[in-house]
Amino acid sequence: MTTTAPVASSPVVRAERAPQPSDGSWQGRNREYDLLKEFVVALVVVALLAAGLAALFSSPDEHQVTLTSWSTAAPTDFVATAATELDGTSGTATYGAPYTRTPDAAQKIGPVSLQHIAGVTHPINTSTDFITGPLASLPGDPTVSAALAQWTAASAAQQQSWSGSYDAALQKAAGNDPAKVAPGSYGPVPTMLTGLLRLAQAGRLDGALLLQGSFYQTDYTKPLLFIADGSYLADKGGAEHLAGEQWGMMNETGSYPGQAWLWLYTFWYQVKPFSTSGNADALVMVVMTVLSIGLISVPFLPGIRSIPKWIPVHRIIWRDYYRNTGSSTS
Amino acid sequence: MMPLQLLATSPVNLNHRGHYLHWGVIQISVANLVVISLMLLLFAAALLLPFPKGRASR
Repeated sequence: MTTTAPVASSPVVRAERAPQPSDGSWQGRNREYDLLKEFVVALVVVALLAAGLAALFSSPDEHQVTLTSWSTAAPTDFVATAATELDGTSGTATYGAPYTRTPDAAQKIGPVSLQHIAGVTHPINTSTDFITGPLASLPGDPTVSAALAQWTAASAAQQQSWSGSYDAALQKAAGNDPAKVAPGSYGPVPTMLTGLLRLAQAGRLDGALLLQGSFYQTDYTKPLLFIADGSYLADKGGAEHLAGEQWGMMNETGSYPGQAWLWLYTFWYQVKPFSTSGNADALVMVVMTVLSIGLISVPFLPGIRSIPKWIPVHRIIWRDYYRNTGSSTS
Repeated sequence: MMPLQLLATSPVNLNHRGHYLHWGVIQISVANLVVISLMLLLFAAALLLPFPKGRASR
């Protein structure tokens, strides 16, 4: 497809060389310009580059972190995290919308809590969804079944007392090792958590948390939240420079280049007040919204819109024209 | 090594811990720095290299 284009598409050139007639049609010289040829050339070049670079460098190959791999590699972290899920003090249990009803948990922009506007759309009770539910759905160990029955028969206050005491004792134990927890009134909690650990190490907890009542299991929210509540995943992410305070948004695992175009988003998280604020996500969103509106409004902002006069990159692009017409035209 | 494994092995292995540069609050991976430098070079080349001339039709 060959079309014709004005020799000089700069509006300045059009105005100088060929005054516009009343019907607005171009009266200057035209040059053949094959759009389809340019499109095909660009497509082939990019396809060859993509295929060549993929063959040369392959792609990141970090192994997936699952409940099985986590509980096998870091059983003490798994049990410590499970204890916080059971007594409702984990990150997920206190996150607020869209998972839990925790009124003071959400980030705010002034009085507005964007997080709570949509409400609790994915309700999660960490105690039943992560611990007792999977234990009940996968029977097989009479000791664990008896512990679960004792837990279920107890009052909510008693359950909170058992789980809270065990969680506190586990955090005081050397290395958070369940085997080194001081004796106390923990009821069936240690037995339940040991049973859950065995379940996870056997690979059955991943499946139990993925059960969604349909043939295809595609919602990984629950296992991901459970894993993210522990320190194992965060430690692995930190080692790969993926944490928020490490400019993690623009990094990739291994030695691969990452999302460099997110530099401005992640920059704000490195400096105060964002780096020390509990509202950092909301604040950064506001800043980036304001900056984006500013970018769209560049043609209307006095001073900013004059930057091309001070840094005349366009004079390099259209250097042939400026060479021919002199340097007075901007 | 199996043939399929050979096929799946890339000549340049980047699946190892990356190198990072620290300068005050700024942290950047060497890989990102290389890509950004290449983009700047490409931008400069696009500005400075002569544009292919088309045929004037009139």
